Amino acid sequence: MPVRVTPETFSMVNYDSAVIAATVEKLIADVGLPTDTPVSLEVDERVPLGKAEIRSVDPIELFVEGGAIEDAKRPREFSSEAALDVVGRLLMEVRDRLDPAFGAPPLDEEITVPVRTAWEIYAVGRLSRRGHRGQRQRRLYAFRTRHGFTDVADAAFESLWSGDGLCFADVVRISESTRQMLR
Amino acid sequence: MADPKKPRAAFAPWDRRELPGVFDVEESARRVGTYKWIEMRLFEALGGWVATVPELDVKLRLGTHCYHHAWHAELWHKRLPELREMNPDRLTGPPNENMVAFVAALTEPEAPELTIEKLVGVYRVLIPHKIAAYTYHLNNTSTITDAPTIRSLKFVLQDEFDDWRDGEMMIQSLLENAEDVERAAAHQARLEQLLVAAGGIAGPGTIGDPWAKPLEPEAEVPA
Amino acid sequence: MKHALPVEELARDERFVRVELFTRAIDPRTVPDDRQRAGPRIKITPDRPDAPDAARVLMHGIFMGELQALEGAGRTCWDFETGSGPQEAPFELKLNMARQCWDEARHCEISVKLGEWMGTEIGEFAEATFLYEAACNPDPVLRLTGVNRALEGLAIDVFNTMREFARAAGDPVLEFCEDWMLADEVTHVKMGSDWLRKLTEDDPERRQRALEFQRVVDKLFSLGGFRGEDDDSPIRLARRFRELAGFADEEIDEIAGLSREARDEFLQHRAALAEDARERTGTDG
Repeated sequence: MPVRVTPETFSMVNYDSAVIAATVEKLIADVGLPTDTPVSLEVDERVPLGKAEIRSVDPIELFVEGGAIEDAKRPREFSSEAALDVVGRLLMEVRDRLDPAFGAPPLDEEITVPVRTAWEIYAVGRLSRRGHRGQRQRRLYAFRTRHGFTDVADAAFESLWSGDGLCFADVVRISESTRQMLR
Repeated sequence: MADPKKPRAAFAPWDRRELPGVFDVEESARRVGTYKWIEMRLFEALGGWVATVPELDVKLRLGTHCYHHAWHAELWHKRLPELREMNPDRLTGPPNENMVAFVAALTEPEAPELTIEKLVGVYRVLIPHKIAAYTYHLNNTSTITDAPTIRSLKFVLQDEFDDWRDGEMMIQSLLENAEDVERAAAHQARLEQLLVAAGGIAGPGTIGDPWAKPLEPEAEVPA
Repeated sequence: MKHALPVEELARDERFVRVELFTRAIDPRTVPDDRQRAGPRIKITPDRPDAPDAARVLMHGIFMGELQALEGAGRTCWDFETGSGPQEAPFELKLNMARQCWDEARHCEISVKLGEWMGTEIGEFAEATFLYEAACNPDPVLRLTGVNRALEGLAIDVFNTMREFARAAGDPVLEFCEDWMLADEVTHVKMGSDWLRKLTEDDPERRQRALEFQRVVDKLFSLGGFRGEDDDSPIRLARRFRELAGFADEEIDEIAGLSREARDEFLQHRAALAEDARERTGTDG
C-alpha cells in the first residue's frame, strides 16, 4: 500500500486511518501523480487546528493537524470533503515541486503569504477542474484579502484559477504585479 | 405671480374633503382600541413563531413583520388619548369573546411542521380582515375631523398590503401537493368561521353593517 | 403555542447542526499554548495565513448569533403578559423587542449576504446555542441584561473586530456592513441599559440579580478569555461603544476582569484535559 497514515489508530478523534489512506490514494491519482507513489501522512490528532504542510517531497511526507481534516459541524469526526480539499492542495503542490519545469523554490525557502495564496488558487483551480470541490468564492475572497478588492485582482485570480502550465515565476509575477496596484 | 392679497378659498378647488363621517369620537376610539388589541396579539404571535419556524426565509420575514404590527399597535396606542380616552388600556381589548377564541385558534400551531397553518392564519385570514376593516374605516370616517386616524390608516394599510403579499407568496411556495392545499384550506375555513362569528376584527359592523349579529361558530351549533 | 420555548426546540432546517457546550468542554484536544493565548497571531489580520478562513468562521458565528438574537427577542414579545408585574413585560418594552426582531432579521440578511461574499454556505459550521439560552430567563429584566447588555455587548465587540479586519484587508463590503450593524447594536445595548434602570428603579434586589446574571453571561461569552482589552485580543472590548450603550467605566472594567478570569479557568481546564489525554495515550507532548 503506497499510503501510510500515522497514527494507525486514533484515540482523541473518531478518525479511521484506512479511510484517510483511501482518500489520499484517490487524490494521488486525481492530481496526476503515478498511482504507486508512496505518500506518508502524519495527523496530529491532539490539535484541533488546521495547519497543513509538506514536510518532504522525496519521499512525499505530509503533515496535518487534526482540525484540518475534521468535520466543521461535528467535532472530532473525520470529513472526507475537508481531507480532499486540504490534502489535495498539498499533493498538487507536491506535483508542482516535482516538476522541474515549474521551478519551485526549495521546500525550506520561505514564501510570502500573498504568493502562497496565489499558488493555492492555482492548485485548487486545477483540482476543481478534476471534479473536486473548488469553493471558488471562498478562494476568491482569500485572494482578494491579499491582493485587493479590485477588478485587477479579480482578473489576476481568474488567470490563476483557470490557469494551466504556469510556472512558479508566473505565480509570483501575477501576485506581485497585482499587489503593486495597491500601493 | 398671483396677487398675494387676493382672497382664496380655504379648500382648493381640487380638495373635495367633507365634514360628515360615519363615526363619532366614541365609536372611533372603540374601533381604534380593538385595532390596537389585535395588532398586539399579532406581533406577539409573530415574534413567538420566529423560533418555531425552520424555513429560514419565513423566519426572517416573520421577524420583520413582527415589528410592522408592533408599530401599528403603537400608532393606535398614541391615537387613543387623542380620542378622549386618557386610559388607553381601558379600550384596548377584543370586541367580544369570539374574537378571543379566534386569536386562541390563530396562535395554537406551534410545531415546526405547521408553518403552513401559521401563515394561513395570518396572511389568508387575519390580514385580509384587517385590510377590510381599515379600508372601511378609511372610507367612512370624516376626512376633515378624523385626519390623524386617516393618516395612520394609510401608513398601516401600506404595510398590510405589503405583508399580505409577502405572506401569500410564502404560502404559495410551501404548498407542494393536494394534501398541502387541503391543509391550508381546512385551516383557513376553521379560522374564517371563528372570525365571522366575531363579526370582524372590530366586532359586528366592522365593515359596515351595524345591524349584523354575531354568528355562532359552526362547531358550537348543535347537530 | 406555549410560553418559554426550550433551546432544544429551536426550529432549523437540515443544514444546521448543533453542538452543545458540553461536547466542546469534554473535547480532550488542546490548542498549543503559543496559539491559544490572546497574542498577535490570534487577532484576525490579513497577514495571518488563515485570516480569510478565520473571518469566514467568525462571520458564520455572527450569523448564528443574529438568528438566535432574533428568536430571543421574538420570544420576549410572546412569552410575557403585558403589564408591569415582575413576570410581565410593559407594552413599550415589547415594542422595543419587536423593533429588535426587525433589526436582527435584517442582520441575518446582511450576514447571509456577507457569507456569500466570503464564500461560506449557510450551516457550513456548527451552531452553538448558548446565546439563545441566555434569552430564556423567566424574568424579563434578567433576559434583557443577559441578552441586550451581555450578548449584544459582545456583538459590539465582534462587529468592531470584523470592521477593523475589513479596513486592514481593504474589504469595502464587509466594512460597510459591519459599520451599519454596529450602529444597531449600540441601540440594542442602550435599550437593555435603559430598561434595567427603569424596571428595577424601586427593586434593588431584582437589579442585583439582573446584574449578577449579566456577569455570568458575560463570563460565558468571554470565549475562554479571548475577549479582552489588549490590542491583540481577537475580540476587543470596544470601550467607546460600550460607553455609548450606557455602560459605566466600572462596568467595562469589570467585564475586562471577568474575561481574564475566564481565560485563566479555561487554560487550567485545558491543561487538565491535556494531562488526562497524555496519561491515556502514553504520549508526552
